[in-house]
Amino acid sequence: MKMTKIYEGSHQWIMFGRDEGKPNNIIDTNQYVVRTPNRCLLLDPGGAELFAPMMAAVLHHAPVDQITDLFASHQDPDVISSLGLWDQALTNAKLHAPAVWEGFLRHYSCESIEYIPIPDNGGTIKLESVELQLIPAHYLHSSGNFHVYDPQAKILMSGDVGAAIEGPDSPVFVDNFAAHVEKMRYWHQRWMPSNQAKRVWIERVRNLDIDILAPQHGRMFKGDDVKRFLDWFDALQVGIAV
Amino acid sequence: MTNQTKSQFIAVASITSELSAVMVVAKEISLAAANAKAIAFRAGDKAKGFQPITDFINELAKETIELVTNINIYALVLYRLTVDEFQKTIAYNKFELAAKMAEDAVFAKTMQGPVDHAKLSMQDCQRQFKRDVSQLLGQLEAVMHHARAARVIAANSRIEASQAGEYLQSLQAVAESVDKAAHTIHDNVQRCRIALSIYRNS
Ligand SMILES: [Fe+2]
Ligand SMILES: [Fe+2]
Repeated sequence: MKMTKIYEGSHQWIMFGRDEGKPNNIIDTNQYVVRTPNRCLLLDPGGAELFAPMMAAVLHHAPVDQITDLFASHQDPDVISSLGLWDQALTNAKLHAPAVWEGFLRHYSCESIEYIPIPDNGGTIKLESVELQLIPAHYLHSSGNFHVYDPQAKILMSGDVGAAIEGPDSPVFVDNFAAHVEKMRYWHQRWMPSNQAKRVWIERVRNLDIDILAPQHGRMFKGDDVKRFLDWFDALQVGIAV
Repeated sequence: MTNQTKSQFIAVASITSELSAVMVVAKEISLAAANAKAIAFRAGDKAKGFQPITDFINELAKETIELVTNINIYALVLYRLTVDEFQKTIAYNKFELAAKMAEDAVFAKTMQGPVDHAKLSMQDCQRQFKRDVSQLLGQLEAVMHHARAARVIAANSRIEASQAGEYLQSLQAVAESVDKAAHTIHDNVQRCRIALSIYRNS
């Protein structure tokens, strides 16, 4: 599992991905970790297949008992099917996930972990002195969907928005936006169902000061590429399967 | 899934299917008893010895049904335990793998807690399963006992039937069907016991 520190300040952001041991037939995912002095939050911790390498990678940054918080942007298996395993490994943790998905996510088993339902209008996650904002992103692509914004680090973890299918050795940041577009087009057209939801989300996100847009698959966008992405997404027609 | 877990799932599932067959047969016995009672009543004095036997057969069938109902509840508990054990075994293996992959990590040692805990709860499940299997085997033994008793009664019925004159044939048929049913129950339960016996508490 490749680890890349993407923010270092009063706290840290680390990106995990490009797992070389991953079976070929499952989609590659990016996991993000927010680390404060005594706590650790895993954003979209990943599928059950990924549990062992992910846990091993996190242990480079935090002891098990300081993994206190998990966040699931939505209910997909590549996002959170590892829940049942984290549930047995962690003794004092919370899962922040969309309220509408609670009854569904509990199928993965969530007994020792406390489920903190995120209401439709969003909320915050407080991690010691760090306050992260939960930005509604419903229907992008899931009917109950949130992104995580860190105003201090200026990072927006954007779930499946901004995702691309990439090879295992691809760089973690977009370096040529024009070339990257082709890797994103079908993904967004096919998985994102609603032009209206897209418009509302873009309006909301344009008001945030973002240095890094960090999706759950593919590469992150930095600096001007963030604005380029929003403009490109704005112009794209989605929901093409009907 | 390991072969061991697979065969455990199959063993537990086979109890349920064998027992549902036992249930059907036990109900047949109870029907045969009612039938025999009617014939014995019509036969009057000629089937005097047969009348208490029909009550006995009926009683036996009822008890078997009751036992099997209880055993089915037990089988469900065993099924849940098997699922539980399966999940705990997966967790234990993944935790061990994570600990191994984290060898050079600063906080690798902190994984030992979850590994130990997962191992203990997996072993707990295994112990509980063995305990419950032993109890279930005891209950199955009781059903076998009933089946054996039913066969003895069937033999007695035949003797009594031979003195029932023109009712001989119909009473003999009753004895025959009880015997056959008891035989089936005996065989089915025996198969359950064999499937489970490797898991018993030693
Ligand atoms: Fe998704
Ligand atoms: Fe995804």
